[in-house]
Amino acid sequence: MITCTGCALLCDDIEAIVENNSIKEVRNACRRGAARIKSCSNRLVPSIDQKPTDIESSIKKAVQIIRNSKAPMLFGLDNSTCEAQIKGIQFAKKINAIIDDTSSFCQGMLIEKILQERFRTCSLEDIRNKADVLVYWGSDAQDSQPRHLSRFSYFPRGESRQRGYEEDRLAIAIDVRESNTAKICKGHFYRIPPKGDREFILALIEALSGKVPAYDTKKMLELAGILKKAEFGVIFVGIGLTYSIKDDFDILIALADRLPNFNIMPMVGHYNMRGFNEALFKETGFVNKVKFNGKAVQDMKYSIMESLNKKFIDAIVIVGSDPVSSLPGSVLSHLASIPVICIDPCMTMTSKIATVTIPCAASGLESGGTAVRMDGKVIELPKIIRSDHLTDEDILDRLMEAF
Amino acid sequence: MSMDFGKFLKSPEYDIKIITYRDIFQVEALESDRFGEEYKKLSASISMSKIDLQKMGIKSGDRVKISNNFGSLVVQARESKRDEPGGLAFMVNSPWSNSLVSGETGGKGIPEFKNIDARISLSKEEITTLDKLMKAFSHI
Repeated sequence: MITCTGCALLCDDIEAIVENNSIKEVRNACRRGAARIKSCSNRLVPSIDQKPTDIESSIKKAVQIIRNSKAPMLFGLDNSTCEAQIKGIQFAKKINAIIDDTSSFCQGMLIEKILQERFRTCSLEDIRNKADVLVYWGSDAQDSQPRHLSRFSYFPRGESRQRGYEEDRLAIAIDVRESNTAKICKGHFYRIPPKGDREFILALIEALSGKVPAYDTKKMLELAGILKKAEFGVIFVGIGLTYSIKDDFDILIALADRLPNFNIMPMVGHYNMRGFNEALFKETGFVNKVKFNGKAVQDMKYSIMESLNKKFIDAIVIVGSDPVSSLPGSVLSHLASIPVICIDPCMTMTSKIATVTIPCAASGLESGGTAVRMDGKVIELPKIIRSDHLTDEDILDRLMEAF
Repeated sequence: MSMDFGKFLKSPEYDIKIITYRDIFQVEALESDRFGEEYKKLSASISMSKIDLQKMGIKSGDRVKISNNFGSLVVQARESKRDEPGGLAFMVNSPWSNSLVSGETGGKGIPEFKNIDARISLSKEEITTLDKLMKAFSHI
């Protein structure tokens, strides 16, 4: 049995047939997970200025770059084990760096509020055993966390939901697009216009308060009726909802307060993004965009986006992340103009612009450790394949030794 | 031989709003080989309702240029197989869609990845490659 690192569900029921130290077959995983377990076809090699070198020279060059930097940033770690994340945070602290991860332009604001206990939340096992009303909001789990509905939410026969989706569970989708998840929620798909989530929430709050909402009155009263009757409800918050209400996120807290039988579950993509958020929160009280300088300070200007927009970082260490692929093209010229140190198992768009590349073992396959599932549960990642690669934790350790 | 005057005429441009989403097949291709043909094929594409395509004189399979103040690229148009009321265009989140996203975050650190205004027109140019997208901001 292995644990899949395809998304933050961290499915730990995956069977992998290993022959001659390589994966021959993967069972139980979704398409994404199986592809990830079979590994990328382009492994990263050590390089300096895009010319191949040995690992020792690349580490040496990385140390030199960081030494010469007045404003370094450490970015990523969402695809690293908890152990590597803690090492990364210690390293950032030691060199007085800015540290940030994908969550600053993803689900960070939601996870921060969950860790601050502003929302009721629950475990995925609670959902499997008890949940009767499931609301996928701005979340297409079928494509992003493909085994969510089958392992935990809609299809399983849980302890008090023996009649499963046929009788005991109701799934609702609220989205701008008829996603694959919305197709499963037949008859309970609420289509909203782009950026329409805030208006929808306000109308739903009115309907839950016994008022007649002006917005889509009939459907809104019907939805409020379903939610009020729920014994154990869950709102699965996707990035579609987070992005749409980012300017007034407290409105979701106001809605959750009206729904005492509901829990909030962050739908997380990267397998250990929540682990990074929890580790940094434990160390500093913040989940992302932190600068160490004797003490830890959180500021929007320390987010990867604003750091690049304002051009105030002069070197960056990127671990297990591909910001060149995931950030707007319009902010990438600054990233391409500063020394980039890329630590990753695979070649990425970021490794193609990096001054230094340092290959590492693929976590969950070639190295073990732990990771934090989307609901906060710590899951073991066993090592199943031998590898000569250093782990990202080892590499961070080597970098830290130099300071 | 008659002259094809049509080729001198600029294809009409239409304003569109693009919503981005995730697709399991495209993510699978990303995990296997982000520089591969399959990932490009599943990313460099835009889908719309049949009615919207007809209004713009675009057929499923045509190449279209999508541009705004932040980027310009050529992708393949497809007819959506979903129940679409019309008025929106859809792209899978990828470096292709990200090349059209503003760096402005309104002080929140989060760009408008899922809400992109752009213009669309028929194009005879090749589908934009990942290399070409990277050339827009780096010397590679």
